[in-house]
Amino acid sequence: MIRKLAVPGPIEDVEELRVLMWHGGEGTAFAKGDLIVELETHKAIVEVRAGGPGVLRKILCAEGGWEKAGRALALVGDDPADPLPGSTDALEACPAEFDVV
Amino acid sequence: MSSETTPPVSKLFFAEAIARALHEAMSRDPRVIVLGQDVGRYGGPYREFSGLHAAFGGRRVRDTPVAEASMVGLGVGAAAAGLRPVVSITYMDFLLLGLDPLVNYGAKLRYKTGGQLGAPVVVKTTAGARGQGVAHSQCIESWLVGVPGLKVVAPSTPADAWGLMHAALQEDGPVVYVDHKRLFPTAGELARDAVPVPIGRAVVRRRGADVTIATHSYMCRVADSAADRLAALGVACEIVDLRTLAPLDVDTVCESAARTGALVTLEEGQLACGIGAEVAYRVREKTGTMRVARVGALPAPVSSNPVLEAASVPGPDEVVEAVRGLLRP
Repeated sequence: MIRKLAVPGPIEDVEELRVLMWHGGEGTAFAKGDLIVELETHKAIVEVRAGGPGVLRKILCAEGGWEKAGRALALVGDDPADPLPGSTDALEACPAEFDVV
Repeated sequence: MSSETTPPVSKLFFAEAIARALHEAMSRDPRVIVLGQDVGRYGGPYREFSGLHAAFGGRRVRDTPVAEASMVGLGVGAAAAGLRPVVSITYMDFLLLGLDPLVNYGAKLRYKTGGQLGAPVVVKTTAGARGQGVAHSQCIESWLVGVPGLKVVAPSTPADAWGLMHAALQEDGPVVYVDHKRLFPTAGELARDAVPVPIGRAVVRRRGADVTIATHSYMCRVADSAADRLAALGVACEIVDLRTLAPLDVDTVCESAARTGALVTLEEGQLACGIGAEVAYRVREKTGTMRVARVGALPAPVSSNPVLEAASVPGPDEVVEAVRGLLRP
């Protein structure tokens, strides 16, 4: 099943975040608790960690790119063979943990 | 040679726009220095001085004690002696301590010395209510606009934060640069070939035929939210971002208000002798009759209680109500 990894939110006052660094590329498998991506707000780094095992299938927002709270940053799946959907609108959000550091 | 083409715009946070302007100005002009609390290795209370200490060192980016009168005094003196200091007063409320050197010395120096000395100092300070209570929340920029010799700018976007900082650093006399706590989380685009924003020039942020809202700083965003709601009611708002409060660009407001036939002023500070009072009077002076309403803070201190804070400063509701009241036949 393909899910979307979304920008956490709402965060007070924060409309958009910037992708600082992806920890892995498309095809990288991760386990619960693994750091997937670091995001940047105006004053903090938000670490996004996997809420369960999965595979990073498609990065939708590259490093240096911006995205609004709630919007998809990447597609993740359980099975590397699952076909990717054309639109992210109907996708469920994948479980993730967010730490502001 | 790189095959990549440089994009014509880059997107950045408000604080990054300030830091970028300062970095560029300090690279170009060795006279530009930064003084203030936590401006050094810490990078500024809102990260707006980030990277400057690493790039230019402790001689040019100096942490100071919590002593605003001395900080502004040092800045004015250093400016008179030939430097171009940027003095950071974290909260505008505490600029009060620095008003004597700023108003009585800095703003008057050129006049007093027959033009032999000037005080090209930029006092950068942060205004606005955001959960910090009575003495860390005030917008008192209107107190400054009646001081001859003092200029006051208040950017509302990262591009203007960059452009007005560059412009302020090119002035011959003191400039107070007022930003806002609620603007730091915002991001916006800055053109690679951007030029400084001329001081004394307002800009129309949104076009509309029914009413002009003249405002500045964070209240531009409040005005925009109100304008979205009013658009749903069939009312088209034109928003004029004043950008500079001293000298005021009355012409741009007049030109807009003459077209729409109605003017609402909006500020986060107090209404009495406020920016809105000044704008409204000067627009009427030029246009003759004009329907005018003012929106500002309640005549009460800003509370630390978030409910009371929100109640004391204007939000979109108050703007919508003022516009509807003004346009009611």
